[in-house]
Amino acid sequence: MQLEQLLQKHFGYPSFRPGQKEVIEQLLNGRDTIALLPTGMGKSLCYQLPAYILNKPVLIISPLLSLMQDQVDQMKQFGEKRAVALNSFLNRQQKQHVMNSLHNFRFIFISPEMLVQPQVKNRLNQLELALIVVDEAHCISQWGFDFRPDYLKIGDVLKENRPPVLALSATATEKVLEDIRRFLKMKEPFEYIHSVDRPNIRYGKKIFPSKEEKTQWLLNHVSHTQGPGIIYTRSRKRTDEIASLLLELGLSASSYHGGKDAEDRQFIQQQFIEGALDWIVATNAFGMGVHKADVRQIIHDTMPSNVADYMQEVGRAGRDGKDAVAILLYSDGDEEVVRFIAGEDLPNEAQMELYDEYVRRNIHPKEMMHNGLISETSFRVLHYWMGLYPKEQVKSIFRQMVMEKYRSINDMLSIIKSEGCIREQLVHYFGQKLERKPEHCCEHCGIDYGEFLLPRTETHLKKKTFTWQIRLRQILLGTD
Amino acid sequence: MIFRYLVLDILKILQKERTISSPYHLLKGKRSGQTIQDVGIFRLHPYFGILPKLSRNKYDEEIQNLVEQHFIHITKKSFQLTEKGLRFLRQHEPLPLNGWQYRGNEHIFFSRLSLIVQSLSHAREEVMSFNPIQKDESVQQWVRSFLIKNHYKSGLLAHNLYDEMLQSLGRAKISEQAKEIVVKRLTGIRMPGFTWEQISRELEMPELDVQIMYVACLHQWLNEILVGKGQYPYLFEMAQDIRVEVPLTESAYHTVLLFRQGYSIEQISRIRKLKKSTIEDHLVELAINDPSFPIERFIKREDIEQVLKAVQHYQSKKLKFLHEALPHLSYFQLRLALVRGETVCN
Repeated sequence: MQLEQLLQKHFGYPSFRPGQKEVIEQLLNGRDTIALLPTGMGKSLCYQLPAYILNKPVLIISPLLSLMQDQVDQMKQFGEKRAVALNSFLNRQQKQHVMNSLHNFRFIFISPEMLVQPQVKNRLNQLELALIVVDEAHCISQWGFDFRPDYLKIGDVLKENRPPVLALSATATEKVLEDIRRFLKMKEPFEYIHSVDRPNIRYGKKIFPSKEEKTQWLLNHVSHTQGPGIIYTRSRKRTDEIASLLLELGLSASSYHGGKDAEDRQFIQQQFIEGALDWIVATNAFGMGVHKADVRQIIHDTMPSNVADYMQEVGRAGRDGKDAVAILLYSDGDEEVVRFIAGEDLPNEAQMELYDEYVRRNIHPKEMMHNGLISETSFRVLHYWMGLYPKEQVKSIFRQMVMEKYRSINDMLSIIKSEGCIREQLVHYFGQKLERKPEHCCEHCGIDYGEFLLPRTETHLKKKTFTWQIRLRQILLGTD
Repeated sequence: MIFRYLVLDILKILQKERTISSPYHLLKGKRSGQTIQDVGIFRLHPYFGILPKLSRNKYDEEIQNLVEQHFIHITKKSFQLTEKGLRFLRQHEPLPLNGWQYRGNEHIFFSRLSLIVQSLSHAREEVMSFNPIQKDESVQQWVRSFLIKNHYKSGLLAHNLYDEMLQSLGRAKISEQAKEIVVKRLTGIRMPGFTWEQISRELEMPELDVQIMYVACLHQWLNEILVGKGQYPYLFEMAQDIRVEVPLTESAYHTVLLFRQGYSIEQISRIRKLKKSTIEDHLVELAINDPSFPIERFIKREDIEQVLKAVQHYQSKKLKFLHEALPHLSYFQLRLALVRGETVCN
């Protein structure tokens, strides 16, 4: 049977999206493959179809527990019951049950820390797998923006006689690609790299002499143009500040950050998706797992810390394929704040000394975290490296990492400061060539914002206040 | 205003007796011997653990305001309400809270309810996949089995639950405004819930006050559900294991089991490898909670009367004073007398 027929049979789609067919063909030929496909381009189909064709289990290594659960839930919603997530959320009994019936599953999602457990490793080695998939593969590279030390161990688990490996990611620079090939021990992999360019997004940029003028411009812009939109900021405080200013202007907006109550965060997402809320002012905590196709504007209140983050955040606009605008705001000295924050995420030298001291005094270094002397993220990274190398070497590794972060910030900054085409520079950053420039390409090529941004229509939404009895009835019974 | 009332009311009860931090520990629901005993000695049951997430900064800020606006003044070891502070208390209604019995479990009840409501709302339109409002796996599992057991697909469950909620919440002894708040925290298909900030802006009330009203409303609602259990079978099921019937800390519970088997304090201390004073703490905790606790086994009736007289005379329940006045009684005996003395003598 042709691949298209199989696609129709198993998924009901008449044709592939760009890249899917190429990737699947290579995998069926037994070749290791790296696929860089933007979010929303059907990455998961690249391993789902081969699973049905080869009729053997597929192992999917995934970094985020919540993402993993989402994927399993989604598969189940579409009728695939033979999907399971092996992660630390399972209790011992559940884990044992899954382990015993592992061969019955078609899709086995697993976290990297679970993968290296001897019991799990042995069990997986007994299985005949169709494929090994490494999702969010850029996490393996310490040059990536999302480095997870646990990912490095994946390579150790792969035996000589293994099925093909598929590494998936949305964005990766050449340096990150190199790491993926090396740490996953890939053999002359086939690489499908989709253009990172999103032609329907226009890249705007505004430079201001001061933060006050920037804020003024932002408020004015948002009051006069139509959303829905997301405003990204760098701090919780700034997020709340802008949201309050917008609310005072009578706009429908809310702030969103990790400091909010979990239910509140859900309410905000739901209000935004359903159009009850026009603007979200968020830290980078917002976005993952939020599917809204008609976001028309993304505004960066300050510069992002690297180009990959920027692309990911901008990529949340115009998923419906219609025109969208991304505007980056910059005022002199913004990079100083970004540099300061970049250093904060990583363990500092005092913490490394302390770690050493804890070990010498026979106290588990984890206590540093419990004593509030280090953040959880920093500890995770520190613990990994201190387990591998002596202190002095770790110090120099981290010095290098900080330098690397600063370099990423400078890369972003030079795009902001340059007078060249923004789109071209973004695409070049990922080692790709821009095929075609759309009209109204970017700030430097010239954008007529009026073409893309509708003037804000004053929505005189009468705020209907219901009694609790009526609200309850509408929620449960749906009638007035 | 509500938060201020709460803090002032507790301060009034504890004035001259305790430090300025005591109300903070009480509101947070700190499980220390001191805080738990204070609940018993000063009858602070309603306020225990009402605001488990209250930050120290927020609390200190309020105290600062109370001092600057002359509601209280801080003394060397304690503090005292001013006439202005007392007047403020008289002008406000207390909220019907029940912290001691619910211990924050009211939030478990609400998570079950809100996920059930969200599921039923989507099921009505045959939307079977949505982003669940509750992420806690144990809540999700509880709800899943509740829905299956009660045949949620028939549509009857939604109607019956609606009737139960309308009736029971209608009867809960609390303001309509508090009920509005609770229902605004529910979410359904095309009807997202409202954030604390949004409710606070709409009602022009600080966020913390909105949250306290919400907790008070859940307490009153649960009271109604648990009392009228036959009338509200579904809600009653959701309220299972929510009220703490013997509200003891885990460790105290083990001590009590041994105590009821007839072991003495010394024996229990040896068996459990705990200090004698810890075992005594546990027994005081039991005395606070169990009206049938045989306090006379540890202190004579005449001695109890003496303690109560001393409290009257010195106008204080400070153990240090009482111990100086009645040196023949141990701290343990004094604490028992304070916690349960009145019930024994009256």
